[in-house]
Amino acid sequence: MNTNLKISNVTKIYPGCVANDNVSLEFNSGKIYALLGENGAGKSTLVKILSGVIIPDEGEIYLNKNNLKLNSPLDAKKNDIGMVFQHFNLFETLSVFENLIIDSDEQRESLREKIDSIMKKYNFSIDLDIPVLNLSAGQKQKVEIIRCLIRNPKVLIMDEPTSVLTEQETSELFLSLKKFSEEGILIIYITHKLKEVMQLCDEVAVMRRGKLVSVSEIKNENIESLANKMVGQNLKTIKKKKAKNSSDQLIKITNLNFTSEDPFETNLMDINFSVNRGECLGIAGISGNGQSELFQVLSGEIISDKNCIEFNNNYIGDLNPQERREYLMAFSPEDRLEQAAIPQMKIFENVALNNFKSSNFFNNGLINENKIKEHSKKIISDFNVNTDNIELKSQFLSGGNLQKLIIGRELITSPDLLICFNPTWGLDVGAINYIHETLIKINEQNKSIILISTDTDELLKLSDKISVIHKGKLSKIMNAEEVTSEKLGILMGGAN
Amino acid sequence: MIIDINFIGLIIASIMASAVPLILASCGELITERSGVLNLGVEGMMIIGAISGFALMTVTGSLIIAIFGAMLAGVLISSIFAFLTQTLITNHVATGLALTIFGIGISAMIGKNFVGIPGKEFPILFESLKDTIPLIGPILFGHSIVFYFAFALPFMTNYFLKKTKIGLIVRAVGDSPVSASNQGIKVRLVRYLCILYGGAMSGLAGAYLSMIYTPQWIENMTGGRGWIALALVVFSTWNPIKILIGAMIFGGLTIIQFHMQAIGVRIPVQFLTALPYIVTIIVLVVISRDSRKIRLSTPSSLGKSFHKDN
Repeated sequence: MNTNLKISNVTKIYPGCVANDNVSLEFNSGKIYALLGENGAGKSTLVKILSGVIIPDEGEIYLNKNNLKLNSPLDAKKNDIGMVFQHFNLFETLSVFENLIIDSDEQRESLREKIDSIMKKYNFSIDLDIPVLNLSAGQKQKVEIIRCLIRNPKVLIMDEPTSVLTEQETSELFLSLKKFSEEGILIIYITHKLKEVMQLCDEVAVMRRGKLVSVSEIKNENIESLANKMVGQNLKTIKKKKAKNSSDQLIKITNLNFTSEDPFETNLMDINFSVNRGECLGIAGISGNGQSELFQVLSGEIISDKNCIEFNNNYIGDLNPQERREYLMAFSPEDRLEQAAIPQMKIFENVALNNFKSSNFFNNGLINENKIKEHSKKIISDFNVNTDNIELKSQFLSGGNLQKLIIGRELITSPDLLICFNPTWGLDVGAINYIHETLIKINEQNKSIILISTDTDELLKLSDKISVIHKGKLSKIMNAEEVTSEKLGILMGGAN
Repeated sequence: MIIDINFIGLIIASIMASAVPLILASCGELITERSGVLNLGVEGMMIIGAISGFALMTVTGSLIIAIFGAMLAGVLISSIFAFLTQTLITNHVATGLALTIFGIGISAMIGKNFVGIPGKEFPILFESLKDTIPLIGPILFGHSIVFYFAFALPFMTNYFLKKTKIGLIVRAVGDSPVSASNQGIKVRLVRYLCILYGGAMSGLAGAYLSMIYTPQWIENMTGGRGWIALALVVFSTWNPIKILIGAMIFGGLTIIQFHMQAIGVRIPVQFLTALPYIVTIIVLVVISRDSRKIRLSTPSSLGKSFHKDN
């Protein structure tokens, strides 16, 4: 039972952007294919076309020589194409079983039996009767996969599936995918993570700016060659010099607790750590284990007990973010468009939002526009933001440029401590490199960083010390050289 | 003073009767909101139902045509809302408010010719059984078909949402229209139907007022009941059974405070009139405090327009 999927001359044009430019590709079952590319390269558009979510302007899709007309997700389902989206397509408030039965024509009992047998076969264990919002990201993904498997798909498309998974969950996923492939399901795996391509896939197609750049077998490639194809230029590798052992303590957190009234937030329990000048403390963990609460407590969005946070010999636990900025702390929150910047406001207006007292952005309550614009231009040129129009609304900046602007805005006051939360989340390789270089530079200037991140590679690259947060508790603080990603993975999963 | 036990039965029955329009309109709006649509036009749809029912009854003389005509009128006026919010993607809140203003205005215009005309008697069921059981008899028997339907509706709505496939689809659409659309569910169609159903129930609630509860046409006769129905949906945290409880408390206090005023209790009238509103909200807030359950039953996409992006 061989499956052959052929994409022929597919083009999709959006106003101002060619998402897919005459793409042709052929896949055969028995192999795992990687579709590799940076953000905005067009890989998500291509798979959305395959799953019927987006209708192409031109081009054909053939499954086993049959021309498919995919006008809706339903058409893709009927033609045995299953897709697990990057952002889960689950109904959070419905139970797992309700999520699965909603698009199935089977009776409750027979569907339950079928799900049980699938879970048994692939070693999944999920309670079918609890609401989806109580599941971990890895479990939610399994629900998505089960949803596809119920229909016995010929093709299974995975769109950046590991962005929310731990190392262990990732390797479990890879085992399952290999099993599916052996059983004759054609697997297309979309990612921008090169390591995963090397680990999992047999063939790789690279896309860049909507065009297909190359198709090759994995055995002929290595991480560097793929990275260069993906970015279209040679990337320099960056490395951090080990920080000199300073003992000059900058910030100290003692017995910090936070109990949330929202049952979907994580409580922080007995957090203790300190960071010295010139150091980067990395905090690893699976998302949803208290990182966002910790960030908010550190930044002053959540006020804590005055004595819990000692910064530069001042007790500042009861100060709000703006007051903390006066003490030379700076913050880069996780969600660039929700928390760090206001999307509908212009670049220079967003810069002005950070109205530290020394800036003279406001005179007697009036906006000093010239001063702000001058300041914004400096940020844009110093931090390599790829635009020269400071009147541009910030929602039109790409993720990478926006992040550079935000970090630039925070750093231009030369703060003593930068607290950042997933600073490279969703960025492409070039932008990630730039942000990493900037963070390393901060440490070299004897300034400190608290880096809360879900990306273990990033943490290992940038941190001097690492701790892991699990269910609101911090593990002991380890020296970065003594830590491996496996060890972090185990701690992130909650084991000791 | 001797209190006849049947008299208490009659008071309870009148409390239930006053709860009927609230239950009908709330249960209809609940389905609309569960699909993610916030229709603030309940008051307008109710008053349209009231005038349509009364007018059709007077003109055709048929109660059946009048009842179904009122529901159809509710469907028609809510279809304006559906077209605007679902096809033209207008803002739910503004469109709903406009619908209410429109409904009140147009009903007053049509109603001009019907002021002062006496209504017809609506048939009541099981009247002979009313005196067979003390207390229970007057409560259970001798009501209109709409009354019985209203008290069954919360349970049917609950069953529909929890046990049926279509109910599941409605909840799914309200939870995440994007996911639903990606699953091949026709989000807009589902929302259209839920809006029209809400319109039909509001129309029926209005017809109950003008044909059964106080059989006559008075301008603006819904008197804010549509807004109470909307509040019941929210404060019951989208739970039909709690709507029933809330509507009974509201109806009960409205009736009791009338009696208290009549007896001449020395409490300011303004306070008595405000009492039903205050107590209903307090009770519903207290019984719905579990934030986990609120999260599970609140339609996450409520009031947000869904725009398919391709």
